Order: sequence, then structure tokens, then C-alpha cells
Amino acid sequence: MKITVKQLFGVLYGCLLLSIVAGFFVLLYLHPEVHFYWERLPVFGAVYGFIGCIVIILGSKAIGHLWLQKKEDYYEKDEKNQGGDQ
Amino acid sequence: MIEWFHPGLVYLLGALLIPLFRGRLKKVYLLSLPILAFVNLLLISKGFFLSEGKTWVLPFLGYDLILGRIDRLSMVFAYVFIIASFCMMLYALHVKGEGQHVAAYFHVGSTLGVVFAGDLFTLFFFWEVMAWSALFLIWHRKTRAAYGAGLRYILVHFFGGLCLLAGILLHFHATGSIAFEIFPWGGESSGIPLASVLILLAFVINAAVPPFHAWLSDAYPEATVTGAVFLTAFTTKSAIYVLIRGFPGLEILVWSGAIMAVYGVVFAVLENDIRRLLAYHIISQVGYMVAGVGMGVMGTAAGEMAINGAAAHAFCHILYKALLFMGAGAVLEVTGRSKLTELGGLYRYMPITFHLYMVGAYSISGFPLFNGFVSKTMVVQASAMSHLPIIWLMLEGASVGTFLHTGLKLPWGTWFAKDKPVCKAKEPPMNMLVAMGLTSFFCILLGVYPKLLYQLLPYPVHYEPYTPAHVVSMYQLLGFTFVAFWLLRAKLHGEPTITLDIDWFYRMAGKRVIWFCEKPLMAFAQFIDGKVMSLVDFFVWFSRNPATALHIKKEEAKLKVKRLMISPERVRKHRQVIEEKRSKYPGELPKLTLGSSLVLILLAFSLYLILYLLIK
Repeated sequence: MKITVKQLFGVLYGCLLLSIVAGFFVLLYLHPEVHFYWERLPVFGAVYGFIGCIVIILGSKAIGHLWLQKKEDYYEKDEKNQGGDQ
Repeated sequence: MIEWFHPGLVYLLGALLIPLFRGRLKKVYLLSLPILAFVNLLLISKGFFLSEGKTWVLPFLGYDLILGRIDRLSMVFAYVFIIASFCMMLYALHVKGEGQHVAAYFHVGSTLGVVFAGDLFTLFFFWEVMAWSALFLIWHRKTRAAYGAGLRYILVHFFGGLCLLAGILLHFHATGSIAFEIFPWGGESSGIPLASVLILLAFVINAAVPPFHAWLSDAYPEATVTGAVFLTAFTTKSAIYVLIRGFPGLEILVWSGAIMAVYGVVFAVLENDIRRLLAYHIISQVGYMVAGVGMGVMGTAAGEMAINGAAAHAFCHILYKALLFMGAGAVLEVTGRSKLTELGGLYRYMPITFHLYMVGAYSISGFPLFNGFVSKTMVVQASAMSHLPIIWLMLEGASVGTFLHTGLKLPWGTWFAKDKPVCKAKEPPMNMLVAMGLTSFFCILLGVYPKLLYQLLPYPVHYEPYTPAHVVSMYQLLGFTFVAFWLLRAKLHGEPTITLDIDWFYRMAGKRVIWFCEKPLMAFAQFIDGKVMSLVDFFVWFSRNPATALHIKKEEAKLKVKRLMISPERVRKHRQVIEEKRSKYPGELPKLTLGSSLVLILLAFSLYLILYLLIK
């Protein structure tokens, strides 16, 4: 039997749902030790992961496109010009 | 009987004998050195040579050089360095020639020298060998980019080494001690000693703390396939070791570490080269350790947790980062490509490499049952125990970015992303696969059975990583990172660009200096040179026959004045006369009579007298 990509994603979404349910369960029944108030939110990990990931991608790409990303010959360009002068 | 045998010496002396072996025997010999060193270490741990808490001292020029300081901290680092060196050498076993192997074992041996060093002179000596041996692992790639990156690498480490030396000398001058203990960092009344600042600077340069990190992401991706695997482990982690020794609980390190963790993540988003992407994640992961050292205030539960976390994370990081570089190196080895824009769809040809790489990716991301989970969460836990909410959020956020790049973007872009493979490929040589398999085994072993690691740590561990709350929150965090990745994956394709980093400053400054030397400075030098030479030529000409020379010069001056007033014809004639005189020059020298000679001498004397009187 071959596993299709669709089935794989089905399992994945199932796991995600399960992790949310487990978050509620752990917080309500096991009362773990918490250090910060946001840890009392049963879906904090999910929200932080989702939003954090989007912020990292969009934020970094913005910095890169506006400022830091250059063509691959950026450093060699000047050397070639200097070589031509001599 | 030998009192003690330094495990680092096994490598340093053993490396010298590598060229004597050939073929299969050489492979056996290369692998036997780490085994020998490991046995040595086991004997130390059993108290056979020199038990924990003892030192091995070598008297030298009136100083006691402590080559062997055995305690729990040095032992845990030594264990992982030796285990990792075995896996790495296995990975590099197919490499022909001796150069890389010798350089690699010098690198390992000198790092062990740093780890066991109990005094500052010994530390400095091995510190320098460590930097130099790494240079040859970079230069062995033999590309133009590698030469440039290697040169920049060693210049930065020169600077770091000089800071260390200056700091050591100042420290020795101030305290009279060369012992490598916690450095004084001022109290409320006294300022921070310059010596400590310089030594800290040297340490953070090697730990690649921004803004002193650019050498790492610049040089490591340019090293050879197998050399880069060695480089990932030793320099930065030995820096963590010396920071734990010298500056535990230094607050500035907490923030530096947390910023580092996020910094590496941001740059990894922009990277196109897979090994450079992974290099940025070294910076990010070492950030956790630096933050751990910073939180490691002595004598507190949170501090002990933080130091344990830093050491444990260094241990795990060395293994999974080596594994990740092995995977990326395998792709480079068989395809000759390392850019995401030139890779894709390779899963069909390299499924084993992919799965072994993913073990490293799960480990670095901190998935439960992999080793990153049992060590990273210790540092995060320490930040919670120290009541540092922003640090906690930064470290957790860096976890998100780590999984995003090493666990999703890189493997997606390399092994999938495109419908058809971009090029032919195959699995790498068997020794590479076995090395990756062995490293994967260690990653999973420590993840499943963390006690193995915890019992080696400097302080007793009161921490249970596998609580339901930890596991569930980590699954949520990473699972929803995947969801966000899947939604935005179109944005994460590689771009054929490079990313400017701090190295821009010294690369540009270097270019300007070279330009300044080649252009304005050279022109100025040539100008001065020309002027002086023409003056000399004139005097040589003049002194052949001063009387005639003076006459010619006088005629020339006359002509210059007269040519405005007389006809061009006469000017031409006059010029011809002068030319004739010049061509005959120096001609017949006038014969001086005795009387006129005397007059000249007297004239010279009187000139001298006048000059003398004037000056006086």
C-alpha cells in the first residue's frame, strides 16, 4: 500500500488538532507548573508558532529585499573593475 | 608509570604520523586515534590516570603550566569532542591525501588542549593552534572564494588572539596569577578591569557573538565538504567552554545570547547557500548556550540549570550540527551544488541522505525524542526560573525559526520543491552514509535516554524534559510553524543573492585600503621619486663642467626672455646655437691655474664663514 500525500496531510492535520486538544487537557487536568501568565493559555504554543513563523518570514524578507540582499557578484564587482584599470 | 597522558596529544602526535600510512591501514589508523583518546578519557573517568578534581602540572620557566585540569565540566566537553571527531573522521575517510586529515586532527587536538588547560598560557597556545588548523580546512577547498574567506577568517582570529594575549598579560600584571579561573568583573566600587574585557572579547569572537560573528558564516560554507563538518563543532563550542570557566553569570551574555539566537534565524531566511544557512543556525544555536552562560549565576538553582543547559546544548549541538553539515555536504559532494536556486527534486536519488538529514533537523528544532529537545529546553527552563520573560520569548521564537529553515525550507528546497530533479545525483559514498547513520543514532539515543547525558553534566540535574506540558507545547509550536510554512512556502524559494553582514565593513574597508595604496599613495610616491631623480640627474650633468653648464643655462634663460621680442627666425638660430653647445657638452674642461684655484678655495671658505656666522 502506498501512502499518498493527501493521506499524509490528513494524519498531519489530525496531529495538529490532537495537540490543541492535548493542550487543553494538560492545562485543565494536570496543572503543570507555569512561570509566565501566557503559559496558562492552552493554545499558546500553536499561536506563537504560527504567528512567529509568519513574522519571521515576512520580517526577514522585508529587511532582505529593502536592504541586505545583493547580487551574487557584489563583492567581486569592484575587483573586476580594478583589474581592468591596471 | 605515566602519570597522565593528555587526550589532545593523541591527536596532535597522531596527526604527524598520518602521512606514513597508506590505503586501508591509513583508514584504520585514522579511526583508531579517536578510539584511543576515548579509552584514555574512560581511564581518566575511572581514576586510572588522574581522577576528577585533579590537575596535571608541567613546570616551565618558573611557571606551573596546568595542561590537565580534570573536572566534570572539562570531561563533558572532552567526551563530545572525541565522539564527534570519530563520526566526522568516518565521514571524511574517503578523502585522498593527508593535508585535510592532519589539519582536522590538529584542530581536534588543540581544542582538547583548550578544554583541559588550567592556566592562561596553555590556553593561549592551544587557542592559536586551533585557529591556524581551521584555516587549512578552509583553504583546502582551493577555490578563490575559499582563499578569500580563509584570509578574512584568520585575520579576525588574529585580532581575537591578540586580544586574548593582551588580556592575559594585563591580568597577570594585575593579579600575578596565570590560573584560568573566573575573571574579576568589577564590583560596586571598582570598575571593570581592562584585562577581563579583552579576554571576554577574545572569547566572544570565537563564540561568534554578533557583531563579531561574520567570520563564521563567511568562512565555514567555503570550507571543504568534510572540513566544514569538523569546523562546525570545535571553535564555537570551546568558546562556550571557556566562557563557562571565565564568565559565568555575566548579565551582558544573557542578552547577547538571546539576540544571537534570533539574529541567526533572520539571516537564515535570506540565505540561498544551504551550508551558509546552516552556518547561520550555528550562530543561532550557540546563542542559547551564550544565554545559558549568562544566566549561570553561581550558587543558584537557576544558575546551575543554565550552566547544565549550556553544556548539554553544546553536547547535543555538536552532534546534530555535524549531522546537518554532513547531509548538506553530501549533496554538495555528489551534485557540486549548494544553492537552493540550483537544487530541488533530489529525493528520488538521495532518500537515505534526506532521512538522515531530517534526524538532524528534528534534533536542532527540538522535537521530543531527539536530543535538541532534552538540552534546549534546559536553557529555556533556566530563563523561566530566572524570571526573564523576554529572553524566554526570544529563545522560543528562535526555535520556530530553526524548524522553519533547517527542518522545512532547506530540505524542501533541496529534496523536493521542483517536480523533476534538477540534475542527476546518487547517494554519497558508503562511509559518509555510515557516519551520518552513527551520528543520527547518537542524536536519537540522547533524545530517548537523556539520563546518559545528564549524568555527565557539571551539576546534578533536577530536570525532567518529558513532562506532558513540555511535550504538548513543543508539538503545538512546531506543528503550527509547519502550517505557516506551508501557507507561505512560495515566499521561501531561494533567491540568487548574497546577504550583506557585518563582514561588509571589513571587506569594504580592506578594499578601500588596497585602493588607497594602489592609486593615490603610489602616484604620490612616483611623483616624489621622479622629482628627486631629475634633480640628481641635473647635478650629475652640471658637475661635469660647471662653467660651460652655467653658460648654457644662462643662454637658455636669455632666450626665454628674448623670444618675446625678437623674430622667430632669430629665436630658431639662437636655439640652434644652444643645442650645438649642449651636444658638445661637457667639451674640453677648462684648465685652472693655481691662482684661480686658490681664489675658488678662499671663496668657498668665506662662504662657509658667512654661513657659520649667520647661523650662529
